[in-house]
Amino acid sequence: MNFNLTMYPNDVLIVQLFGELDHHETEKVRTHISKAILQGNVKLLVWNLEHLHFMDSSGIGLVLGRMRELRAVDGQTILLNPSKTMQKIFQYSGLGNLIQFASEQQVISHSEGDCQWITK
Amino acid sequence: MDNEMTLTFLARSENEGLARIAVTSFMAQLDPTIEELSECKTIVSEAVSNAIIHGYADNPHGIITVYAVRYGSEVSVTIKDEGCGIEDIEQAREPLFTTKPELERSGMGFTIMESFSDFLQVESVLGKGTVVTFTKQILPIGTLVT
Repeated sequence: MNFNLTMYPNDVLIVQLFGELDHHETEKVRTHISKAILQGNVKLLVWNLEHLHFMDSSGIGLVLGRMRELRAVDGQTILLNPSKTMQKIFQYSGLGNLIQFASEQQVISHSEGDCQWITK
Repeated sequence: MDNEMTLTFLARSENEGLARIAVTSFMAQLDPTIEELSECKTIVSEAVSNAIIHGYADNPHGIITVYAVRYGSEVSVTIKDEGCGIEDIEQAREPLFTTKPELERSGMGFTIMESFSDFLQVESVLGKGTVVTFTKQILPIGTLVT
C-alpha cells in the first residue's frame, strides 16, 4: 500500500490511500497521520479512498483512532469515494454518515466557505 | 466437489495479502462480480488477521491453513490456526467487542464476516486453536440480469 498526505490551507488534511489496506499496512500510515494531526491544527481530515482497492476492519480501527485524536481540536472526518464493499464496512461500523462522493477540490472549496455543511 | 485448494503459511502479517490473493484466484473460475470477490477477500483477511493477532498473539512461528473447496456455484473456505483459542465465542462475535483496543482493533471482524458470507461457523478450543468456515454462493452473471 502507498499513501500521500497533503496539508491544504484552512487546516484540511487529505490522505490518499492506494492499493490494499490491512492489518499489516495500517501501522506505517498510522504514525504519519498521527504526527500530522498532533503537529498541525487539522480541522478536517479527508480520507480519499478512490484508489484504495481493498480495506478490512483494520481501516475502521485506523479511522476511529484518528477521530479520537481529532476530538481534542474538534476536527472532523470525511470518507471520500469508498468502494461498495467499503461503504458496507463503514455502515456496519456506524461511520456511514461520514461518507461523501465528491472530488477533493469540491471538499476543499466547501471547507473554505463554511464548515457547517459537514454534519457529524 | 469440483475443486479444492490448501494453503499453509506462517502467522506473519505480510501473508494476509497472500491468503487473499490465493482465495481470490481460486474463486475466479466461478465468474464472481467484483463485489462478491471483494467481500470474500474481506472475510479471509479478517479471519487470517484474527489468527495472527489473537490466535498466535503475534508469534510468527504459528501455522495458518486456508482450505477452500468449490461445489457448483458455492465456495466454502476454512481458516484454521492452532493458537490459543477463543474463550467465549458468542462474546467475540458481538459487534465492537475486542480484547485488543490498544492495537486499534475495531471489534468489527466477526460482524463483517457474518454480513459478507451466507454462512459462518466458528469453532474454537482453548489452547488448541480456532477454525472459521464460511460459505458463499456465487450467482451466475445471467441471474443478476433477469
